[in-house]
Amino acid sequence: MSLDPRVNRLKLGDPTAVIKVEAGENWNVYEVFHQEKRGAHHEHVGCVHAPDPQMALIFAKEQFGRRKKCVNLWVVRSADILAFDSEDEDMFATNMEKTYRDASGFKVMEKINKFKQSKGTTNHVK
Amino acid sequence: MYGGGYIFDEPNNKQLREEKVHDEPEKLAAFEERIARGEKIEPGDWMPTEYRRQLIRLIEQHAHSEIIGALPEGTWITRAPGFKRKLALIAKVQDEIGHGQLLYNAAETLGKTREEMINDLLSGKSKYSNVFNYPAKTWADVTVIGFLIDAAAIVNQVANSKGSYGPYCRALERICYEESFHLKQGQDAFIELATGTPDQKAMLQDALNRWWKPIMHFFGPPDKASLHSEKLMEWKVKMASNDDMRNQFLDTYVPKIWELDMTLPDPALHKNEETGRWEYSDPDWDEFFRVINGGGPCNQERLQVRKWAEEHGRWVRKALMQPTEKHAMPVA
Amino acid sequence: MLNKALTDLLTKMADDELILGHRNSEWTGLGPVMEEDIAFSSMAQDKIGHAWALYNIMEEKQLIGQSADMFAFCRAEKDFKCSHLVELPNAGYDFSLMRHFLFDHAEAIRYESLQDSSFEPLQHLSKKVKGELKYHTLHANAWVMQLGKGGEESYDRMQTALNEIIGLAAGIFEPSKDYEDILIAEKVYPGEKELYTRWLESIYPVLVKSSLNLPDMAGLTPGYGGRQGKHTAYLAPLLKEMGEVFNLDVDANW
Repeated sequence: MSLDPRVNRLKLGDPTAVIKVEAGENWNVYEVFHQEKRGAHHEHVGCVHAPDPQMALIFAKEQFGRRKKCVNLWVVRSADILAFDSEDEDMFATNMEKTYRDASGFKVMEKINKFKQSKGTTNHVK
Repeated sequence: MYGGGYIFDEPNNKQLREEKVHDEPEKLAAFEERIARGEKIEPGDWMPTEYRRQLIRLIEQHAHSEIIGALPEGTWITRAPGFKRKLALIAKVQDEIGHGQLLYNAAETLGKTREEMINDLLSGKSKYSNVFNYPAKTWADVTVIGFLIDAAAIVNQVANSKGSYGPYCRALERICYEESFHLKQGQDAFIELATGTPDQKAMLQDALNRWWKPIMHFFGPPDKASLHSEKLMEWKVKMASNDDMRNQFLDTYVPKIWELDMTLPDPALHKNEETGRWEYSDPDWDEFFRVINGGGPCNQERLQVRKWAEEHGRWVRKALMQPTEKHAMPVA
Repeated sequence: MLNKALTDLLTKMADDELILGHRNSEWTGLGPVMEEDIAFSSMAQDKIGHAWALYNIMEEKQLIGQSADMFAFCRAEKDFKCSHLVELPNAGYDFSLMRHFLFDHAEAIRYESLQDSSFEPLQHLSKKVKGELKYHTLHANAWVMQLGKGGEESYDRMQTALNEIIGLAAGIFEPSKDYEDILIAEKVYPGEKELYTRWLESIYPVLVKSSLNLPDMAGLTPGYGGRQGKHTAYLAPLLKEMGEVFNLDVDANW
């Protein structure tokens, strides 16, 4: 007898029985993207195992949308995601040096201050 | 909920570990430098064979602990008293399954399929936390599990969430968020009994007495008895020593138990104010190893129930299988 | 008289949801695959939540003189008004999914009809649960269609489950002799006969798409009795189990 009344209703099998799950029995993998509010990006939050996209969406709704705020979900087969190899990370390595692409690369205030200062020295005496 | 600091390893794998698959030294050095810099490792990265093996083992056992951990508390789903407790308990047990789902996915990114992991659980090859091999005899047991086992789990999981493997850290971040609800609802139900009628208090005290030993076992054997944890700590697979985590747990939670006038069944339990460490009687490590190896009061039932679920769910899974689909692992 | 009629309606609705919510929650941790385990558990929680909301309405409107907890967990079996369909213990997942499909369509139809109810708390609740029920029927339809077309074994199981419980499901719509007319006249809801027709219209197209055959409903004996307090042998033990801890001391806080 189990202490769990649910378990007593199950009629458990032989404890020594060999039970095996076959390859593929838990279906395929779908990546899940969660949109927290209208206007926000869909963000990757994890994945679900499902037999097809519709079931993936149904499962994702409860596994990834049951708690926090959520207005929409996307699912896509993991096999359909194309990504760079992590070794190719070096392609991005010099991004931060290319300051001409970044606001921080332009010292506008410095120039203005310099100009004001120079005006101050020439026009100061009145 | 989680399996604690102890990662079971098959004794004969020790040999494999010592033989070491020939990892290329330059790659290994780059990998270790990356970890030392505090960067995360992602699924597509090169990693030492042993790092991969240990992580699979760790995450897989964590996942098993979640789905087996759903069983002792599930014992009280149909009997939880009143609407609020009933809904909270179902939601909590549901979360454990959800955590299992997240963790199996994280482990799959390392190359072992969910089906292979489930099979290793069912065959007994892969272990889960010892604490779930003990029975939940009364409603008070559910409150002790919900409060104290979940608290212990949080100590461990917060530490692990700062580890080096990206997918595991991301899963743990979500898990820790949900665990804070578990701890709170457990503590709330625990306090309700501790401040309730004499019968309720007696019921809680009895549960505490029975669960104290498994709780002391939760973080695994003392550091002096734990093998091979140095490399795992350098690789940020293991983030804190068993004794340190146990001490942190005792330091936070023993006072919370004592302040409710509940007692713990170890007269030697006290904090040494000079060292700042908690001292306690030996919690019988022989029993710990006996239970790991199948000799606990509920080992057989837990696996039997898992086998029932897999066996009776098979026709459902098979009916929806798409034989033409090529299986892929999660990407992140 | 209207109050008695309202109590009857709310009690049977709530009792159905409480008992089926319990039965379905028994699957938590034991489902066929983790993702489905989670989904099915959420829907069981929703059902218990709906029951709680209905009992709370009765408490607030003073239709019952006790708390929702007392009313749900300490009532005698004969005072329960749930249908026989929800009382049966879980058999396989085929049985539970088919029951979920038949019941949740009935539930969705009922709440939809309550969106224009003259009884304001029911109108309010029906609007609140609309989205939840939309998911429940989406989930149920997807499963029934997939399993109906999931090969011979799966088809047989689903058709057998349908044949076995369709009569009990029709019992959900057992009219109440004493209160039906007044509830219709007062525009609380359209009445069981009307809901039954709408329910058949709702499940039929899904069964067709699933290649499942709806048995001849005219030749069936619907599973009546539950609404009058006459129950199957399965209810009493479940009620005892549900109230086991609570009844140790009903005055204590748990």
